[in-house]
Amino acid sequence: MSTVLSATGFPEEQVRYRARHGAAAAFPALEGYGTGLLGAVPAGQDPGDLLERGRIVPPVFMPERLKKLIELAREPLYTDVELDAVVGGFASRLPLYVSAFGSTQVASHDLGEAAGRQAGRLGIPMVIGENVVPVNGYRSAAEAEVSPLLGRIAAYTRAAASSGNEEYGGVVVQQSTEDADAEVWNLVYSDPVCEPLLATGRLAFELKVGQGAKPGLGGLTVLGREAAGRVAEQYATDEVFGTGGDRVLRISSPGTFTEEILRQQIRLMRNNFPRAKVWVKLHPGRDVALAAATAWAAGADSVTVDGAEAGTAWAPSGFLGQVGLPLGECLTRIGRTGNCLLASGRMWEGTRAVKALALGAHAVGLGRAALLAVDEDAEDGLVRLVESIALELRLLISAVGKYRVDALDAKDVLLPPA
Amino acid sequence: MTSTLAFPSSPDQHLMRESTRATLRVQSRMLAATRAFLTGRGFQELLPPVIGPVTDPGIRGSKQVDVDFYGHKYKLMTSAILYKQASLLAFDKIFYIAPNVRLEPLETAVTHRHLAEFHQIDVEIRDARREDAMEVAEQLVAYVVDEVVRALPDDLELLGRDTDAFREVVQGVFGRTTHQEATADLVALGHPQDPGAEIDWQGEEIISAKSSRPFFVVDYPKGSRGFYDREDPEQPGVLRNFDLIAPEGYGELASGSEREYDYAALVTRMRETGENPAKYGWYLDLARRGIPASSGFGIGLERFTRYVTGRTAAWEASAYPKVPGVVSA
Repeated sequence: MSTVLSATGFPEEQVRYRARHGAAAAFPALEGYGTGLLGAVPAGQDPGDLLERGRIVPPVFMPERLKKLIELAREPLYTDVELDAVVGGFASRLPLYVSAFGSTQVASHDLGEAAGRQAGRLGIPMVIGENVVPVNGYRSAAEAEVSPLLGRIAAYTRAAASSGNEEYGGVVVQQSTEDADAEVWNLVYSDPVCEPLLATGRLAFELKVGQGAKPGLGGLTVLGREAAGRVAEQYATDEVFGTGGDRVLRISSPGTFTEEILRQQIRLMRNNFPRAKVWVKLHPGRDVALAAATAWAAGADSVTVDGAEAGTAWAPSGFLGQVGLPLGECLTRIGRTGNCLLASGRMWEGTRAVKALALGAHAVGLGRAALLAVDEDAEDGLVRLVESIALELRLLISAVGKYRVDALDAKDVLLPPA
Repeated sequence: MTSTLAFPSSPDQHLMRESTRATLRVQSRMLAATRAFLTGRGFQELLPPVIGPVTDPGIRGSKQVDVDFYGHKYKLMTSAILYKQASLLAFDKIFYIAPNVRLEPLETAVTHRHLAEFHQIDVEIRDARREDAMEVAEQLVAYVVDEVVRALPDDLELLGRDTDAFREVVQGVFGRTTHQEATADLVALGHPQDPGAEIDWQGEEIISAKSSRPFFVVDYPKGSRGFYDREDPEQPGVLRNFDLIAPEGYGELASGSEREYDYAALVTRMRETGENPAKYGWYLDLARRGIPASSGFGIGLERFTRYVTGRTAAWEASAYPKVPGVVSA
């Protein structure tokens, strides 16, 4: 384990534990078995987090279980729950995907590739963050194989192929306003590295409208003075750390959106990249339901809502605690529409995932949790974390008497009074 | 169309073919005819810029080529559209024979119509409406075809081009349809054309093959074209633009439009097309001070040559063809 990362305010230790122990981590420690007395643990600490305060509420009567019983001719078990899902136009083995990590140092190079390899093995989609090209480059002549973006796509594709997942999962490449200068999508769309993904319908482009950690703001990155000079034509900087210091804040715009701008950008993506799926990532704005509806109506295959609890990115402290709608509130405002809605924001275990799925998400994204798991074990950490979540999903979904992810609905969750 | 030729393995193999020589002779004549036609109607020929800090953002996933300009990122022109508008500050009617480089998606290598390096007959007319530009395009194509048919019958015969196919073309009366009608036709024929998008390559070939004369498709939806195609103030969401499609399956020859020139509308349209206005500094500064209203178009020279000579692929109309993804001379 490298443990170069830390995630204050995030259940880092529990995630690392899962990355080491896999499915077994879904249960209390075995040492206490037969002797320890287990009871309710206090609900979550964040009073604004609707998902944390909600409870999963199994019924007594289960007509769906009866259907499964008839289908199987035996009592169904949690192992009978099918977790396959359609995630943003991709077939996925699980209702999970790996969220973008952003351009901050933590997401670069080795961890990104390791996450890609493991996501490919798992047959779940992976999103590659914005600014990877403007900041880290696309392909330099000397290092054609190790460009962060292409390297991650290639690592994912290879791992998927060698795990029998040629038809599962997919790679999603973000582009934001500054990325448009670097033409990330055009570069990716015509690169031979992407052909196997395009040929199997497993490439998507994600229009990044905003992010949960800093709703209403664009990317913020701390750069050394030298690196800041290199990207000076694309990014503004601010001397918030003092004019004499060796660090500056690189600031970028989130881009201006109106209903018409969002609609037309999506239509242009469909026009320009007919072989790629179109994903849209929204920050948890107060008009998130209108924004999601606008995106779907314009033809987006998927809308991701990134709750205010989300973010691998570096953000001002005030934003982390006080700005944006919590994920649960976003989901209840959007409701179940029949369109593909994805949710991210402090996802790391099964109960939160099931609550989000019951409130209308088709899949949930692992951001910080995936990064920590990969940091804990670059070979198997994410696979183990996902195994533990998958086990919990099966347990919880069967507990409400259902056997498919898309059978969950809002009745399966008790939300606290507003 | 003549038989399909394999892409040449070396320049001499291509250059020494009699069919290549005949095709390039026709192309040379077409250029001379183009210049005669346009200068005869008061157009000023300008030499186009090759590099600049920004170029046409392009459509359908083609990528741009960066040039390191003394530490600044410049682009090779994918089209000189922004300069065409600016040039009208000097002359009311201009044209370029402009080289363009677009690294088109790999899937275009098989369309027979896409080249990574090609030339456009680029025309722009101050204070003109779309219909004025369409009329110039129509007359220009008719004139050039007529000129070749009369001057180079031997070359056309050598190439096996049936000149009867041009009988309607030289009359200069082309067809007209709207994007909406073309989409409906394609859907009726079982082709899944997206009503909100550019007509796809296969669809374009289908409607082209059905026609016996060139025709215009007008009124493309917003979201299928660049920010400089003007939105119809009377039909929001519809652009005042056109494509000129050759018959017999040869497909698109030209694209054109009435141009957006209002500063605020340009900035808004840039955002709608996902562009960062900051990179269009010189152009937006100019637009703020005022650029003229205009209409114009660009005819793909190699495509036009392919149509006139009846070649199978546009690359046959280039001495040193660059096909997407294919490494060559």
